[in-house]
Amino acid sequence: MNNERLKSVTLGLIVVVGMASAALLVRWTDTLRPPVDPNAIDEGLYLNDKTVRRMSLGFNGLAADWYWMRSLQYAGKKLFDSTGDISLDDLSGLNMKLLAPLLDTATTLDPEFIEPYEYAAVVLPAIDVQQAIRLTQKGIDANPNAWRLYHHLGYIYWRQGEYEKASETYGRGAQIPGAPAWMEAMKAKLISEGGSRSTAREIYTRMYEQAGEEHVREMAQKQLMRLESLDQQDALRKLFAAYKTRYGKCPDSWRELAQIFRTLRIPMDESGAPLDPSGAPYVLQAGACEVELDPNKTKVPMK
Amino acid sequence: MEQQLRTLDAAQTTHLEKSKLRRNGTLGRISAIARNAFREAVRDRVLYNLVLFVLLLTAASVFIGELSGGQERKIIVDLGLSAMLLFGMFISIFVGVGLVYKEIERRTIYAVFSKPVGRGEFLVGKYLGLCFTLLVNVVVMAVGVSLALLYVSRGWDPLIPTIWPAVLLIYLELMLLTAVALLFSSFSSPALSALLTFLIFVAGHFSADLKVLAVSLGSTGARWFFTGLYYLLPNLANYSFITPAAHGRTPAPGFVFASALYAFVYIAVILAAATLIFSRRNFK
Repeated sequence: MNNERLKSVTLGLIVVVGMASAALLVRWTDTLRPPVDPNAIDEGLYLNDKTVRRMSLGFNGLAADWYWMRSLQYAGKKLFDSTGDISLDDLSGLNMKLLAPLLDTATTLDPEFIEPYEYAAVVLPAIDVQQAIRLTQKGIDANPNAWRLYHHLGYIYWRQGEYEKASETYGRGAQIPGAPAWMEAMKAKLISEGGSRSTAREIYTRMYEQAGEEHVREMAQKQLMRLESLDQQDALRKLFAAYKTRYGKCPDSWRELAQIFRTLRIPMDESGAPLDPSGAPYVLQAGACEVELDPNKTKVPMK
Repeated sequence: MEQQLRTLDAAQTTHLEKSKLRRNGTLGRISAIARNAFREAVRDRVLYNLVLFVLLLTAASVFIGELSGGQERKIIVDLGLSAMLLFGMFISIFVGVGLVYKEIERRTIYAVFSKPVGRGEFLVGKYLGLCFTLLVNVVVMAVGVSLALLYVSRGWDPLIPTIWPAVLLIYLELMLLTAVALLFSSFSSPALSALLTFLIFVAGHFSADLKVLAVSLGSTGARWFFTGLYYLLPNLANYSFITPAAHGRTPAPGFVFASALYAFVYIAVILAAATLIFSRRNFK
């Protein structure tokens, strides 16, 4: 082997071995590093939304995307770290204090970016309802023709039990060219039967159909499952009442009702228990004429 | 012997070039210098930034769907056009400030001016050469963004035609910035020129704030100062159409025309000032 070749091989080896050693050293230092402060994720934003907009020069769209993705990662990390089943429409226990400022910054950088407003309308009411209303209203001010934002603002008011405001918001949204006809129908429905299950079903169905964001669609789907389950539970209670009238007692096991379920073509598991919309068996409170979801098996949200 | 033949050949080539230059007039001379500046940029591997751009867009197209909550199309446009502006800005500044300086440093400027080439023609030729490099860069990048959109949409995407007016505005901004870099490089060192050009880029995007500041100030002198600064600095905020383009909005033709006209007038002013300074410069 001549000198030049030996030199090349040696240098090549140094590069390969050196990089491998560097990677091993990084792994070693990772184990020595003190644990990450769990509160670091909630460290306040250094810059407010208006300052960020000024500093973004011509790159405000890209900066808005970054803040949007950061919002998703922030909420996702909180959900991931949480224990228990938490749905997107009830995140009150997760202390997501940075979510509103992150979404606010994203929408200040790009006021036409609709998804952060929609996300704020769906997720924020459980954390800070005033921020949710403010951000959704900010979206309406910046995009007066986005009828979907009126739908979301109406949804926030409806959840708060403010049916008159919700109806008025749907009414305003219905005036926008291109808004679907059901917006006008929602206006009337909210006034006449604001707190009813059918209104809730209508709202979540529309939300499921119109949602641009997958998490929102998922949440609406779960809520629709919950409403379906409530209807099923009511139907089962009626069956219990009829059974009690006939036999003078509540059923002690699902098997006693299996023949009726078969006749009514109600799906059951092998023990004869009827299945909820997520496919999990309902739990019978023996002798009490009551039925409930199985919290360990069901995917239907409890509230 | 070989050396003598080479010298003779070079002398003949120089003679031929001289007569060719004389024959073609000002436009021919400018075009020869522009072609040379473009070739030099290609030789200096300026267009290698396209490789980085392609890698960036490919990675974004493949992975951004996981992180963006269904907003990959918007993010591809924002990322692609922002990278186009950023990479273009770096080329404008770092290549632009070296256009004249390198010729002086290598003393090749004596060879150029020994031919019938005016200093203004030299500057304009250099400027157009870099503008052509930027044009190639910007067009290839815009095609890259369009392909990335085709990939993430699994077919035709309505955003593809709407990005092109924004690309045109980005190119006009880069043309303006190149002229500014050339102006500074005509009288100062590359490091200082790069710094000053970057500051102009930043200040140019703050022009709307300068106007607001001028209106809100109490003192007449300060008001005049900031109003003057607003009109003096290039209004680069006019060329920022990336964010609306990501929402499928296109600028009005009148706005594009006015912005283009403003860019050409401003570039003409800067190149005239640069020629004025460069003409008085002594290379001895």
